[in-house]
Amino acid sequence: MTKNKDIMLTLNQFPVVQYDIIFKETLEEMSKFNLGIACLVDKENNLKGVITDGDIRRKILNIQKPFSAFFVDDAIVHAVKEPICSNPETNINETLKIMNTNQIWDLPVINNKKLVGLVHLHPALNKLINKI
Amino acid sequence: MSKNHTVKIGYGKVEKVPISKKNPLVFIGGPCAIESREHTFVMADKISKICDKLKIKWIFKSCYNKDSRSSEKSFNGIGIDKGLKILSEVRDNFGVPVVSDFSDPSWAKQTGEICDLVQVPAYLCRQTSILKAAANTGRPVLLKKGQFMSPWNMKNSVKKLEEFGCRQIILTDRGTFMGYNMLVNDMTCFPIMGETGYPVCFDATHSVQLPTSMGNISGGQREFIPSLVRAAVGCGVEALFMEVHDNPKKALSDPNTVLDIKYLNSILIQAITIHEVKKTLYTKFGEDNIHKDDEK
Repeated sequence: MTKNKDIMLTLNQFPVVQYDIIFKETLEEMSKFNLGIACLVDKENNLKGVITDGDIRRKILNIQKPFSAFFVDDAIVHAVKEPICSNPETNINETLKIMNTNQIWDLPVINNKKLVGLVHLHPALNKLINKI
Repeated sequence: MSKNHTVKIGYGKVEKVPISKKNPLVFIGGPCAIESREHTFVMADKISKICDKLKIKWIFKSCYNKDSRSSEKSFNGIGIDKGLKILSEVRDNFGVPVVSDFSDPSWAKQTGEICDLVQVPAYLCRQTSILKAAANTGRPVLLKKGQFMSPWNMKNSVKKLEEFGCRQIILTDRGTFMGYNMLVNDMTCFPIMGETGYPVCFDATHSVQLPTSMGNISGGQREFIPSLVRAAVGCGVEALFMEVHDNPKKALSDPNTVLDIKYLNSILIQAITIHEVKKTLYTKFGEDNIHKDDEK
């Protein structure tokens, strides 16, 4: 059975940023990968939160302060702090079920709280199709 | 987001002055410039008597070099050696911590050897070399918000100071430029700068300055000092900064903004009262945690 660790993006293949960098730098990092998500970690690589394109869209509509103030906030201020996660040994059927139930296409993969990868739906599907 | 830091001011034999959300309001004040030993002592004595009576902890402020005067003809200070010697004597005689600003990184070490608190001037608040020199003194840093800076961008200066090892910072508002020759006070700057976790201070006398409005000297509207003090203390500051003089018309620096010391007592009483009332209200109704659950 295919597991998360077989299909996930590894740490240099998706945006991983320190949780206390400024929000603007997080956006820049997100733009380098075009996945619509950034994972926020501390120095020990523990996952502290995620920021997605959808979160940013909602922020833009709701936040009532100038962009210059928004940009200089610590990234973690605008993150989802307890994101749904998975672990490397979880099988892909279970992962797809979680994604479907929660209507999300990203699942950070953690091992003892430490970020090890990201299951992003499209590359995951690509890998699965190629396997078949 | 950040913890609330307590900034502890005072080394050696002077009165220790803690500044934080938990402590009573602190007054930072004195004549803008050190004019002479005699005048500095007269001012320290007058302020000391007022603050002792009101039981408010205070820090004596005066500068040895005023580097950003509007005109090269204006008095620019007594000089670093003479000035710091006088400040050192004020410390010894009155047992009060002292603060002076410094406008050149090469002056920082000497300033920090005498002063309990070193001040980064507003115009220089984002200069890395100045911030590094301030941090290297090992003393707490009074960081003025530049008149051209947004309160949220002060986080960058705070990060620089932290990067250089400083964890004892007080952020101070002295007004923000609105067009030319005019300052305004945005009271939201206090909670915004407070998000850094460091205490915030209101500089009432420089806030009423009309920068260089008189051609080669700054004007000022000091009649607004009491209103602004009440607003700022009510909004939430941990320290109040005001330059005072016994004869403002003859003051060698900032004659149009320094507060006549005859008004200091009544303004401080108002400030202390509002500060205490605010504390009581916080205890009763909780801190400013409204609308925290709003979707953002």
